[in-house]
Amino acid sequence: MNKKKLYWICQLGGWMLYGIANLVGFSFVRAITPELIFGEVFQVVFYIGSTHFFRLIIKKRDWFDLPFNRLIPRMAGGILLMSAVNSSINYIIVRGITSRQATDLIALLIVSMIVYFLWSLIYFTYHYFESYRKSLQHKAALNEIELSNLKSQLNPHFIFNALNSIRALVDEDPEKSKDAITQLSHILRNSLAADKKRLVSFDEEMKTVRDYLALESIRYEERLKTKLNIHPDSEACKIPPLMIQTLVENGIKHGISNLKKGGIISIDTTFIDSAFVIQIRNSGVYINGVSKNAGMGLENTRRRLKLIYGDQVGFEIRNEDKNIVLTEIKIPEKIKDESINYR
Amino acid sequence: MRALIIDDERLARKELEKLLEPHDEIEIIGEAVDVDDAFEKINTMDPDLIFLDIQMPGKTGFELLEELEKVPKVIFTTAYDEFALKAFDVNALDYLLKPIQPERLAEAVNKLVDQEEKPEASEQSTSNKKLTIYDQVFVKDGDKCWFVKLSNVRLFESDGNYIKVYFDNFKPMIHKSLNALDEKLDDRSFFRASRKHIVNLSWVETIEPWFNGGLMVQLKGGEKVEVSRRQAARFKEMMSL
Repeated sequence: MNKKKLYWICQLGGWMLYGIANLVGFSFVRAITPELIFGEVFQVVFYIGSTHFFRLIIKKRDWFDLPFNRLIPRMAGGILLMSAVNSSINYIIVRGITSRQATDLIALLIVSMIVYFLWSLIYFTYHYFESYRKSLQHKAALNEIELSNLKSQLNPHFIFNALNSIRALVDEDPEKSKDAITQLSHILRNSLAADKKRLVSFDEEMKTVRDYLALESIRYEERLKTKLNIHPDSEACKIPPLMIQTLVENGIKHGISNLKKGGIISIDTTFIDSAFVIQIRNSGVYINGVSKNAGMGLENTRRRLKLIYGDQVGFEIRNEDKNIVLTEIKIPEKIKDESINYR
Repeated sequence: MRALIIDDERLARKELEKLLEPHDEIEIIGEAVDVDDAFEKINTMDPDLIFLDIQMPGKTGFELLEELEKVPKVIFTTAYDEFALKAFDVNALDYLLKPIQPERLAEAVNKLVDQEEKPEASEQSTSNKKLTIYDQVFVKDGDKCWFVKLSNVRLFESDGNYIKVYFDNFKPMIHKSLNALDEKLDDRSFFRASRKHIVNLSWVETIEPWFNGGLMVQLKGGEKVEVSRRQAARFKEMMSL
């Protein structure tokens, strides 16, 4: 429903309801006369017209942007003016018909002030909720954009090196090269699909990681050893797509590939104190800030985790001993799907 | 042409070897798996050409070139090192992207063979261990790299522990001592003008007498270099045939 339509439905419907409710209320205390109905219809029409005019002024002068201390006097003035006009006309016209007491003017003024005040309250409350909702949406959209910027992309260096190894493997071991092509296509497909997803199951992610490690093993041969030690309950845990893959890739790029003798990559998962813990170890030495690119990649992962899980997530990278680098992620288990910042 | 393949990945070396099979003009004399291995093999085997991977464990291909006194012809092979390659002066080198296209490889090889056929290059192969004007050196200063033909170098100027290398519009610094360099350079082309300078004789434009029996030499690039009294006699002798 567009906002203009909504306004008119509320404006016309609301005031008519007001008129009907008034008449029903009167009917308990006095007889309904044609004069009374005429007076009430006149009231409703006047209210509709005056508040609509008031709204035009509010919109035209951008009163929504005013701070409260400047808005309130303006609203009070508007309400007073409208009530004065309304009650005076009402008094003159209605008195002409029913010959009421002069003191009724004060009563009419007060009633109409209250009515105008209620209208303003409803109108502004709706407006403030609406703009709050919009700002939330805006923030969510910004988060989404930031998240997609942080999402890891497949490293072209890896793709071309893998293709080069596979090309050589075609002569040496045709069967293995066929497998490698399937593995590479799985990784490529996955990285394309990962753009659309916020979270994937650990199991799904590990399929990609296994293919990735298989391909890197072709390239590094005996220089790359891998060890996986996965807790059986890990499968269903949700993690951001390509997160482990990125960290493993980092470990190979900055660890294994710099070692002449190569080294080991291991992935362990456990549950400690109701947190899902992923540990990735690689041979090598972590020197903070030694490489700008590595720092960026890790910083991206850190921010990505924070955007999705909030402050409860743990992310740490350090030298476990003098030639093993440990990257550890702790995702609180009690964060259930629905509380995760999906959208 | 005798070529050495330098790559840490066995399959990558094998693939390149296979691709080079149809090229009779290239004879593969060996393989190296990292920079230290390559450094040793280049010095013992003295290849005309190296196929060089950039990312290798320990040291990069660039570091190998910095270590070498005399740099053979180089064809870089890399999967994706846009940035590293951008560091280079264009045309200074050839590079092949892995997986290598056979046509691109043929192109690169042909270009080298054409160069080889030129007289100046053939002279290079007969030269002794010294660096002649036909040799090229690899110069890296900060992020920028150059392959410089020694014939283009006008002047070496010592500056603390560094040497400024003057060529074209550049004067990058290399970390070497002038004495060590002087020993390597062919003294038919390069002349030790003073404690601080080595000039390339083919760049000399004018010579004027200077104080104390020395000489002032102006190079075609505009630099002025004083030749000490002790060296002046030798210099005159060399310049007057």
